[in-house]
Amino acid sequence: MIAALPRELLASAGAALTTLGRYAIFALRLLAATPRGLLRFGLVVQQVHNAGALSLVIIMLSGLFVGMVLGLQGYDLLERFGSEESLGTAVALGLLKELGPVVTALLFAGRAGTALASELGLMRATDQLAAMEVMAVDPLRRVVLPRFLGSILSMPLLAAIFSLVGLFGAQLIGVQLMGVDAGQFWSQMRGAVELDDVMEGVIKSGVFGVACGLVAVYEGYHSVPTAEGVGRATTRTVVTSSVLVLLLDYMLTAVML
Amino acid sequence: MTHAARQEPAAADGSVVRVRGLHYAVNSRPIFEGVDFDFRRGSVTAVMGPSGTGKTTLLRLITGQLRPDRGLVEVEGQDVSRLDRAGIYRLRRRMGMLFQNGALLTDLDVYENVAFPLREHTRLPERLLRHVVLTKLQAVGLRGAWRLMPSELSGGMARRVALARAIVMDPGLLIYDEPFVGLDPISLGMVLRLIRRLNDALGLTSIVVSHDVREITAVADACYLISGGRVVATGAPGTLADSARDEVRQFMHGLPDGPVPFHYPAPDYAAQVAEARR
Repeated sequence: MIAALPRELLASAGAALTTLGRYAIFALRLLAATPRGLLRFGLVVQQVHNAGALSLVIIMLSGLFVGMVLGLQGYDLLERFGSEESLGTAVALGLLKELGPVVTALLFAGRAGTALASELGLMRATDQLAAMEVMAVDPLRRVVLPRFLGSILSMPLLAAIFSLVGLFGAQLIGVQLMGVDAGQFWSQMRGAVELDDVMEGVIKSGVFGVACGLVAVYEGYHSVPTAEGVGRATTRTVVTSSVLVLLLDYMLTAVML
Repeated sequence: MTHAARQEPAAADGSVVRVRGLHYAVNSRPIFEGVDFDFRRGSVTAVMGPSGTGKTTLLRLITGQLRPDRGLVEVEGQDVSRLDRAGIYRLRRRMGMLFQNGALLTDLDVYENVAFPLREHTRLPERLLRHVVLTKLQAVGLRGAWRLMPSELSGGMARRVALARAIVMDPGLLIYDEPFVGLDPISLGMVLRLIRRLNDALGLTSIVVSHDVREITAVADACYLISGGRVVATGAPGTLADSARDEVRQFMHGLPDGPVPFHYPAPDYAAQVAEARR
């Protein structure tokens, strides 16, 4: 059994590499189709609505609560050093650079990513993609690409909304409840937060948008056309996206610090 | 555009689709072992056979969704296996296909489903597009259902909408994959009449894959019966119905036992029961 272990490990590594290669080829096909896909921007806008606008409620609610928790925890910590006026800065940097993009991406993977994967999987299972092929319409360009681009565009917008609502939540707790001076809260934030900090969040959320969108459309498009197959594709979408977001977050943070 | 003008050069013998020496296997399991087919212009040809004999696979080979391992699949004089992706797409624009479940796009209503190929391939002004779509819906009797979503349609209605979509680009070749599955007798009769009427009125060539013997033989000009990777009989529906060959008789008359056994291969019954008791 132990002797078989290296062979199994090799087989697993080989399978992982194969999957990675398939992802890369799929991404390249999407990239090649992008210039023509952008000409039909209406389809992308429709997907920004489906993936982005319909995720707004969960993003805003989560942003509010995360901001409120940050407000409470931040106040508790900063009060020990007598610098509770810095609460605005701490919350803003935390939200813009880290929590906004990461939590938004995780929520996006759970809400929009699964919806995308199951939608594409069901289209495969009900022959809709095959019907397009027979109608001489490339499903990759007509169906997959707008959803992928929609995800990329949605993510930074959703992350920005998450961070804004989070700041409001933190202000609600810090200023309204704990009595931090409102002027100090906002002015310290304005003084400390720079454009680079905002850009870090924008870049991260853009990269997460590519990752989550790619995983969702790849898994949905390649799902086995059965109920079980679509279910598995949906699960793989959440798991892979979440792990990938956290891994990418570490790598991006290390590069941009 | 007239139908005569639209027609592409076919083989000299008048076949729109010509298959020669077709070999195709899935995971080393042979589906076709050197079969020949001829689908003649203007005719309705039925391809029949027990489940799992490769009827749908044949359609996928004709539409270029699959490539043969060996042999020739020629559509309108073009070898499908030699065409690149763009060539296959050009060829498919002259084909229509009706899928078993209709395969309507579930996020579009009836009107947009039928308009879909036109919007993708043409730049028709909206007024003309509307006229074409409503004409096709009128042909299948569903003009009044133009604003319904696919989820609001019965199985028969969905099949008819899919048929309107399949003919909206005025194809020369129309392919039906099991068009009668799950239909009530009224819907079945409607689809059956539509297959014949559209074929004759639009000057189409129709290939209908089905195992509903009585229904399809009522409208077909010619039939192929396939089984075990080969063509076991071919000819006019009447010829097949009167055939004395066991495998043809079993299929055409729905006999439960014959060359295709009722029982799946199994060990000796008594021995298996005795073993279970031990």
